[in-house]
Amino acid sequence: MHIAPLLLVLGSGGENAPVDFSREVQPILSQHCFVCHGPDEGTREADLRLDLPDVVGEAGGIVVPGQPDASELVYRITTDDDFDRMPPPDFGEGLSAGEIATLTRWVAEGAEYAQHWSFRPIAKPTPPATARAGWVRNPIDSFVLARLEAEGLAPSPEADRATLIRRLSFDLTGMPPTPDEVANFVADPRPKAYDELVDRLLASDDYAERMTLAWMDAARYGDTSVHHADGPRDMWLWRDWVIDAYGSNMPFDDFTVEQLAGDLLPEPTRGQLVASGFHRNTPTSDEGGAIDEELRVKYMIDRVKTTSNVWLGLSMECAQCHDHKYDAISQRDYYRFYAYFNQSVERGFQTRNGNAEPLISVPSERQEVELSQRAASIAEVEAFLAKSSPPADALATWCDGQLALLGESGEPDLGPWFALGPFQGSSKAEAFRTDYGPEAGPIDLELEVRGKRWEARDDADGKVHSLNPSERSATYLTRAIQSPTAQDVAVSLGSDDSIVVWLDGQRVFENDVGRGAAADQDQAVLQLPAGTSRLLVKIVNGGGPAGYYFKLKGSGLPEDVVAALRTAPAQRDEAQHEALRAHFVRSVWPAGIERVRVAEAAQRRVDELNRAIPTVMVMEDRMSGRETFVLDRGQYDAPREDAPLAPGVLEHVFPLPTGAPPSRLGLARWLMDPDHPLTARVAVNRYWSMLFGSGLVPTVMDFGSQGARPSHPELLDWLARDFVESGWDVQRALRQLVSSATYRQSSRASAEQVADDPENRLLARAPRFRLHGEFLRDQALATSGLLVDRVGGPGVKPYQPPGLWNEVSLNGNLRFQQDSGEKLYRKSMYIYWKRSAPMPAMATFDTPIRDTCVVQRQRTNTPLQALVTLNDVQFVEAARHLAQRLMHAAEDFDARLDRGFVLCTARPAGDLRREVMRSVFDAQLADFRADPEAAAALLGVGESPADAGLDPAELASWTVIASMLFNLDETLTRE
Amino acid sequence: MDPLQDHSRLLTRRALFGKGARGLGALALANLLPRETFAGDETPGIVPHFAPKAKRVIYLFMSGGPSHIDLFDYKPAMRELHGIELPESIRQGQRLTTMTSGQSSFPCVAPMFEFTKHGEHGTWVSELLPHTASIVDEITLVKSMNTEAINHDPAITYINTGNQQPGKPSMGAWLSYGLGSVNRDLPDYVVMISRGKGNLQALYSRLWGAGFLPSQHQGVKFRSGAEPVLYLSNPAGIDARTRRRMLDGIAEINAAKYAESGDPEIQARISQYEMAYRMQTSVPDLMDLSDEPESTFELYGEDARKPGTFAANCVLARRLAERDVRFVQLFHRGWDGHNNLPSEIRGQCKDTDQASAALVADLKQRGLLDDTLVIWGGEFGRTIYSQGTLTADNHGRDHHGRCFTIWLAGAGIRRGYEHGATDDFAYNIVRDPVHINDLNATILHQLGIDHERFTYPYQGLDQRLTGVEGARVVNELLA
Repeated sequence: MHIAPLLLVLGSGGENAPVDFSREVQPILSQHCFVCHGPDEGTREADLRLDLPDVVGEAGGIVVPGQPDASELVYRITTDDDFDRMPPPDFGEGLSAGEIATLTRWVAEGAEYAQHWSFRPIAKPTPPATARAGWVRNPIDSFVLARLEAEGLAPSPEADRATLIRRLSFDLTGMPPTPDEVANFVADPRPKAYDELVDRLLASDDYAERMTLAWMDAARYGDTSVHHADGPRDMWLWRDWVIDAYGSNMPFDDFTVEQLAGDLLPEPTRGQLVASGFHRNTPTSDEGGAIDEELRVKYMIDRVKTTSNVWLGLSMECAQCHDHKYDAISQRDYYRFYAYFNQSVERGFQTRNGNAEPLISVPSERQEVELSQRAASIAEVEAFLAKSSPPADALATWCDGQLALLGESGEPDLGPWFALGPFQGSSKAEAFRTDYGPEAGPIDLELEVRGKRWEARDDADGKVHSLNPSERSATYLTRAIQSPTAQDVAVSLGSDDSIVVWLDGQRVFENDVGRGAAADQDQAVLQLPAGTSRLLVKIVNGGGPAGYYFKLKGSGLPEDVVAALRTAPAQRDEAQHEALRAHFVRSVWPAGIERVRVAEAAQRRVDELNRAIPTVMVMEDRMSGRETFVLDRGQYDAPREDAPLAPGVLEHVFPLPTGAPPSRLGLARWLMDPDHPLTARVAVNRYWSMLFGSGLVPTVMDFGSQGARPSHPELLDWLARDFVESGWDVQRALRQLVSSATYRQSSRASAEQVADDPENRLLARAPRFRLHGEFLRDQALATSGLLVDRVGGPGVKPYQPPGLWNEVSLNGNLRFQQDSGEKLYRKSMYIYWKRSAPMPAMATFDTPIRDTCVVQRQRTNTPLQALVTLNDVQFVEAARHLAQRLMHAAEDFDARLDRGFVLCTARPAGDLRREVMRSVFDAQLADFRADPEAAAALLGVGESPADAGLDPAELASWTVIASMLFNLDETLTRE
Repeated sequence: MDPLQDHSRLLTRRALFGKGARGLGALALANLLPRETFAGDETPGIVPHFAPKAKRVIYLFMSGGPSHIDLFDYKPAMRELHGIELPESIRQGQRLTTMTSGQSSFPCVAPMFEFTKHGEHGTWVSELLPHTASIVDEITLVKSMNTEAINHDPAITYINTGNQQPGKPSMGAWLSYGLGSVNRDLPDYVVMISRGKGNLQALYSRLWGAGFLPSQHQGVKFRSGAEPVLYLSNPAGIDARTRRRMLDGIAEINAAKYAESGDPEIQARISQYEMAYRMQTSVPDLMDLSDEPESTFELYGEDARKPGTFAANCVLARRLAERDVRFVQLFHRGWDGHNNLPSEIRGQCKDTDQASAALVADLKQRGLLDDTLVIWGGEFGRTIYSQGTLTADNHGRDHHGRCFTIWLAGAGIRRGYEHGATDDFAYNIVRDPVHINDLNATILHQLGIDHERFTYPYQGLDQRLTGVEGARVVNELLA
């Protein structure tokens, strides 16, 4: 390890420079002292706080500026007295001699106590002067170069053009450059060629997709709900909104406000509502035994965490249970922040079957057009039916006939409904089977059944009514029926899901199904005795919404029509005439029926469309506020109900702008205030880390006192200030970074550079790092010509090894259904992301599970990665297609190989590589000629057929070469 | 043929016959080979903090929450309680899951199985576990385990990662990160899954995930079937010779790239490709039980012949222990006995009892038990009261986190000991509670790790497996 020289380099500006509080003193205090003498009231000892500037010069002399000997602090850390010495021996590692010296020197030099660096206002530093002429391309380089010169170092030369175009392409678009693009750029000596290339890349869909991929990690995006059953959900419309936002270069402040509070904007557009789905990516649960409030609180906690990680670069989680031990975030601060989210209408217990409320439908343009066309034709029919008058004699004849048919018998009288339940079963089948009480015997509406009571319902017949949507549960409904005579009556039923019907304790009908409730799904006959009988209906819900439908069919004529018929023609009033006319026109008159059929067909299509229109979950707040309290030790069931908390921001970091509403919108406006010290710094640092492999602040998610200090604090401030002043222009910020000479350096590292600055914090060279798993797969698809580059849409399921879903799924029955055709070759960001069993080829390359916010990915190097790129069907099939492409592109070995190298690495093979590949190729060709079955087997990998026009042994040999190309370090790496 | 030797021979041949740069590249490559490790050896200094008792751990994780009442935590007084309402003095208003909190009646259910005393200390064990009963003098039973979680997802995440919310590393990942690698050919953390006959709860890849630790520390799933590790097999048409030839070519070009760019990551990549190649042999060798003598199947049971069963996985766990893999975790599913508990638990025990006991006995006879820690247990226990209707021969039990039973064996754990006690209802702990974080602290302790000092800085906090609330090593469990 060579950390020591690096620390020396980074630690100070030289032997005689004064101690820098923020960089040198505060980390020591934070690490060793704050737990007992910091922001946490609960663990504070001796009523002493070392985390506030007041400690300097305080009465009692803890820190006396300029006088170490008079300062208690210095005494405590240097004394030999075991009782007095700090930190106490049982508190972790003690202070090192160097740390003691630093603290002592700091006191001697006047004990200047500054606010934590990242909470200070963003400065507007002037780019420093540098000695080396001609290297600086933009102000970024002045800061970097000044630092290098101070250390006596020089920057690296510019990378060659082939390296630059491949680097830029992957960094900005996640895609390799095509051979033509490489050739054009390499051959274009104009200085502007570079800028034009950057502009072209930033204008591409690939750019928007690449940025979205990073944002998906931060937003913990997935296609499933995470907890328990980890059921499906559809949030891809939100993901597509992000793609559009990056594509149109939406300013970062709008991007933020719409995602955190799009639903709270005045008259929000559909896009703004969709954007608010950012926080509906929260993991949710459908676990049967869960307590609703416990889950709901978890969702709010996740939103606080994600918001603070992504925008503030702070971890607030500690303060969920107690005051933060290092940063000045009290438990009260935490729950005030939490209060912004605590207004959400959603329930804790959510579904395993798709999207949970609140949600919106988002029809495509085509769907919208068709919907309005169908609505117009329905309206046209209705207008006709409303006005048309059938021949008068035909109507009169029909009325007479119907009246004769009706006869004298009276229709039964139906009493009001009462409901009981829901009763929870551990499965739907069990709930269907189990008698929870009323099934066996007479029903007494006054009696309690398993702790529940019958409750009256005000449900009108002939409509679908909702029931409490508890999953795997049964609900009972009952009503009394009075019939003047014994008679059989037909009833029409509907239910979500299963239904059982009893009449006076006799089971008369059952249907064990899974469905949504609608009119007329089942028909049954009730054999009513004269007098009163009791109807009992049981509705069993498997999951999602629950409901039922009931209608007495009787004569089949609507009640108002029957009443009109029974009235003598002369006595009928206007409404009764109209009732008869309308019924006749719609149900009897052939010209009317024909039109009704037209309208019904249109309506069916509308229903079909409505079912096909995708939905997306969005945010929505309650109309009346929910009170928020501090939760003791973060426990959902332990609110400190003494004092409700109003929503509030971290005031000591930055005050709330005046006029900001007490809602998520206010929170978003606070974050995006031009003077907020964290938001811009955190954002530009994230962009920096995307392009340079590591942030100026390496702890991208921690700008708190335990986080790393920026390697170039002035540069970070300059970038942050510039970002804000540009109107939060993301593309401009990225363009500025990639246009710098710093970015354009070669990544070649000398042994000394690796030894002295292994992490390259001084930026004397460009970084070299392994590409994301998504980029590697996309590169294989693009270079082989397989890529289907359609933008957006639902997740796709390309090749993955069998059995991965059912080995972990609830009940063990959920099988992965692989897609076929084009969906096998979409970009990797569209891979269906099942969060209990994420696609292993991506997870192996550090794609996070996305069940929690991740702002910076790990970047590992493991043998399992080699197995993926060598053996995964996706890569082997792509190798075969690349081979076909090479064989079609040129005739001789050298030209084909060069083409392959340019596709994968942007440069031709060169002697050594050609010689290695040639010897493998020759050996392979001999082997495959001798064993045609092996060649055929290799060419059979993947769904797509092999090019039958090519010699199989030769194609198989080229497939081996292409597979090797995919596995070269220089292909796997961005240089 | 030894692939590595074969590889060196090839390199030498190239070095001799190659020309100029190629010869040099090959020599440089040869120098790189000693860096080979699986999960990386960059962190050898972190732990152990003191001399470990355990070199490796085999964790038999019983997913779903086995009923402590029907297996271990028996008292004759329970027979008297059968059918009575759970007294409020016992329930104490503690929260229940919403699967039973609406029940109007909470009738207590005594186990519908016989219990007899076993071993030197007269330990009660259910008739369902005759083989486990035969090793009670070898193990420590902890009857006072407890957790705050009352539902599967949070509970199983909690015991495996120290936190109910997702995002934290699993225990195996912590150990892989902290202890580094002992085996050159196999991963440090292996996971195997089997399914029982009972109600299957979900598992999640986060249970063996690396959380915020570098992801090479995540558990590697070994699976039954043609491909024991995902993507392990060469594609159709690529034989070992072709693969070797490809890897040599790749390595040679990568070595040249290293010479050009100076990036040490390339050295690591070359090693990882070699490791991948070795795994293609070492893993199938490991999984192939055809070299096991008849006596193995007598010991572990006939099920062990069937790939993918718990019994077969136990044999594999022993083979992994022999190969010094640090952490082997078997997840056996199906212990979630909400309904039909009597018949389900009978099936679950039949699937697991013999092989679990056999594993301990087998490790012992091979001298491996002294430094292998074996743990058997789930994420919580079950309620004394019946979920759903109690009939003469059937009932269910809901989740119960307030107490449950696990057992440990080997690697400095006391032999023939019972720790902690619950009330007559096996509902509340009356003596020596052991929180799941205490258990994890104790497991780390046996591996020579001070759980308070075993930390990883993430998001401003020194994160640790045992959380921030404080946990203690349960010294009473140690010999």
